[in-house]
Amino acid sequence: MYRIEDYTKEINRCIQCNFCLEHCPVFIEDGIESSVARGRLNLIQALLVEKNLAPSDRAGELLNRCLLCTNCTQGCPSGIPVDDIVITARAELQKKYGLGRGKRFLLRQVVNRSSTTNLATWALSMARHLNMVPDEFPEIASQSFEQLVSVNIKPQGEVRGKVGYFIGCATNYLYPEIGDAVIKVLTANGYEVVIPENQHCCGIPALVHGELGVAQDAVRWNADLFAKLEVDAVITDCTSCGYMLKVKAAKTLAKDDPYQSKVAAVAAKVVEITDFVTREGLWQDLKAEKELKVTYHVPCHRAWSPNLIQAPRKLISMLPAVSVVEMSEPQRCCGAGGSFFVDHQQLAESIRARKLKDIHDTEADAVITQCPACRYYLSQGLKEKMPVLHPVELLAKAIRAKGFYE
Amino acid sequence: MPGLVRDLEALLDPRRVFSQPEDLLAYANDATHKRVMPAMVVQPTTPAEISRILGYANKNLISVVPRGAGTGLSGGATPGADSIVIDLKRLQQVIEVDKQNLTATLECGVVTQKFHSLVEAMGLFYPPDPQSMLVCTIGGNVATRAGGSRGVKYGTTKDYVIGIEAVLPDGEIIRYGGKSVKMSSGYDLARLMTGSEGTLGIITKVTVKLLTLPAFRRTMVAVFAELEAAAEAVSAIIATGAVPSSLELLTKSSLETIEAFIPLGLPKDAEAFLLIELDGHEGKVNEETQQIIAICQDNGVRETKVAGDAAEAERMWLARRVLFPATARLAPNVLIEDATVPRSQVPAMIREIKRIADLNQLIIGVSGHVGDGNLHPGILTDKSNPELMRRAEKAMGEIAKEALRLGGTLSGEHGIGYLKAPYLEWEFQSAGVDLMRRIKKAFDPNGIMNPGKIWIDGGDADV
Repeated sequence: MYRIEDYTKEINRCIQCNFCLEHCPVFIEDGIESSVARGRLNLIQALLVEKNLAPSDRAGELLNRCLLCTNCTQGCPSGIPVDDIVITARAELQKKYGLGRGKRFLLRQVVNRSSTTNLATWALSMARHLNMVPDEFPEIASQSFEQLVSVNIKPQGEVRGKVGYFIGCATNYLYPEIGDAVIKVLTANGYEVVIPENQHCCGIPALVHGELGVAQDAVRWNADLFAKLEVDAVITDCTSCGYMLKVKAAKTLAKDDPYQSKVAAVAAKVVEITDFVTREGLWQDLKAEKELKVTYHVPCHRAWSPNLIQAPRKLISMLPAVSVVEMSEPQRCCGAGGSFFVDHQQLAESIRARKLKDIHDTEADAVITQCPACRYYLSQGLKEKMPVLHPVELLAKAIRAKGFYE
Repeated sequence: MPGLVRDLEALLDPRRVFSQPEDLLAYANDATHKRVMPAMVVQPTTPAEISRILGYANKNLISVVPRGAGTGLSGGATPGADSIVIDLKRLQQVIEVDKQNLTATLECGVVTQKFHSLVEAMGLFYPPDPQSMLVCTIGGNVATRAGGSRGVKYGTTKDYVIGIEAVLPDGEIIRYGGKSVKMSSGYDLARLMTGSEGTLGIITKVTVKLLTLPAFRRTMVAVFAELEAAAEAVSAIIATGAVPSSLELLTKSSLETIEAFIPLGLPKDAEAFLLIELDGHEGKVNEETQQIIAICQDNGVRETKVAGDAAEAERMWLARRVLFPATARLAPNVLIEDATVPRSQVPAMIREIKRIADLNQLIIGVSGHVGDGNLHPGILTDKSNPELMRRAEKAMGEIAKEALRLGGTLSGEHGIGYLKAPYLEWEFQSAGVDLMRRIKKAFDPNGIMNPGKIWIDGGDADV
């Protein structure tokens, strides 16, 4: 449950090989070994396990200066869950280094997004005033995506199955077009889509700030909504929501929490949309659009399903006129890290600069990625010169859809 | 130490001077287990800055510990108390790759794998390939004479260094060698600095020999029911002159470890598994492949398999590559030994390692670069268990002693550091070690350069 006693052994398993130096985007910029997984683990051990180092400003800076991108975890020979350990340290030291009371209150409003969205929208505008979101943050839709869609959307043609759709906050407030595309692709291929009302945020934005209580409430709320659905799968269009629902939700609660079985039942069904469509082979009746060269930025939160890295490439390969031009290091972090870029502007921009160069070098027409934070942050960096899209949007365009979903 | 901070901040960019315990902690150890907090960490970017830092430290009798990526397995970069760690990762320019002369000149902080990629894109080849090459630095490789699996055919880092620039403890910068292939003037200071583990000065720049990239590579495996037979086959392969570019051995315990970590379908009942890579011109490689298959058959091989394509070769190599991660999951600490023996003594050495493991009630995995006699016994241990740790260290000494008895050396490619320092006299006797001490004294009269490494003051180990 993100308590240090659960991770003491894991920290001790670090064999100190320093292979994490290769993977850490923060280390690549800062160049100091205290900014890499091994350094952080040793610091957390000193602060919280051995308690021979008192929490200081520098300790707080080092703990917060981590994108939780999981690149170190994915490359760790010992398989140490570094991001879970950093989250644990943030939760343990939340009073010292975490959000203040005001910010915590706002976070709670955004996470518990209400059906009217009014409070959440208000909270976001307050957040803007408090510099919690960047100036250029897009305007929040006056009506959220949830308010625009019905709770049950019937498929076209032969019925293949029924899925639940978890609507992430980005789709809900910023990119409703992704939601449109998901529903179009699913229904056009014979899937009935169930969208439970009053969904909450998946909780990962709270978790990364060490706000365990807020994250737990979100996890329980969504588990209640989705566990009772009789569906073949729970679809997400966001790799970070997927990471939360599939892997982290269970860890957010105590091992003996009565909600664990519900959380596990939902987790078992969670599938990312490109993974789902490529697995199910949903690409009949594709229509050639104009020629398009895209390059694929692989989101960092990709390790929760073995297919996430290849599914969008596979999806694109099935589209008649779209091709993928690989960028150098497609798995390199873009610097967004959820809302990391807000608090660490300079660092995030240096990380992004490398990614933008890789993108420009491809001379592609568009970038595809399944993460809305990457999408937002890359779009800002590309200054609208090149669109950033969810791969499912391209599939939706290519499907010859007939008269559903006005 | 406010005075020290202020003094160092005057010598280099203050943003590259670290004195807070949270930063120092990250430098308290390398890939070995002993942690000692240094007084300071500095990150110079030029030899001139290093010269100023060393001059200052020498004058004030402060010990300094040079550091690359901190991946060393013998403790060479473990700081001493009150020392200044000089983190050299910011000197990372490849100054020149000279295709005409087949040489490259580069700064010490260049990451080995990045250098590989750079020269290979030009059709050139720098063979040394330590396991940590994705992060380790050329400077660290030179300072420890790092090797890798290609050592059997191509030698180790020491066979490539032809020129060196180093800063001495008094701040003087020396340059020795360069692009000339032949050189017969004066003492070979490049060789002397190579493998000096930061005890003589700081290597800032090296010129290395390059080869042309082999046109063709082939990977194959040979599975043996008995270890002896595999070892005999290795000797016979070497004797024919068909020298593979890699000749790696995985033994039964390693195979079990790998299978538990990632099922590759390796034979569970085989005692030994040879992974062989050949490179060169295609015709010659084909000929040598046939030769090797015949030799393996003469030695009772159970099965040989030649990779049909790159993907299959990659799968075969995966078995070797995952050995380290797989072993890392078995215990919190793994002491990776690198005792090296003449190739003919490999079977004897493996038997001894097993005996030592049983004697000390330890799990010791055995694998290694068998083609050059360089074994990597991995002793599983846990630093939070002092009694287990003591047995592991005792076993390490016994393995070292056994390697020497069989005509080998304490270290094939990791260096001595502090971990093997107690054993140095076993290899060179007191006269040999004493000469090394005098050489050090000539370079570093005040003893500021990485003290406590290579040998220990005050004698022998208690094994």
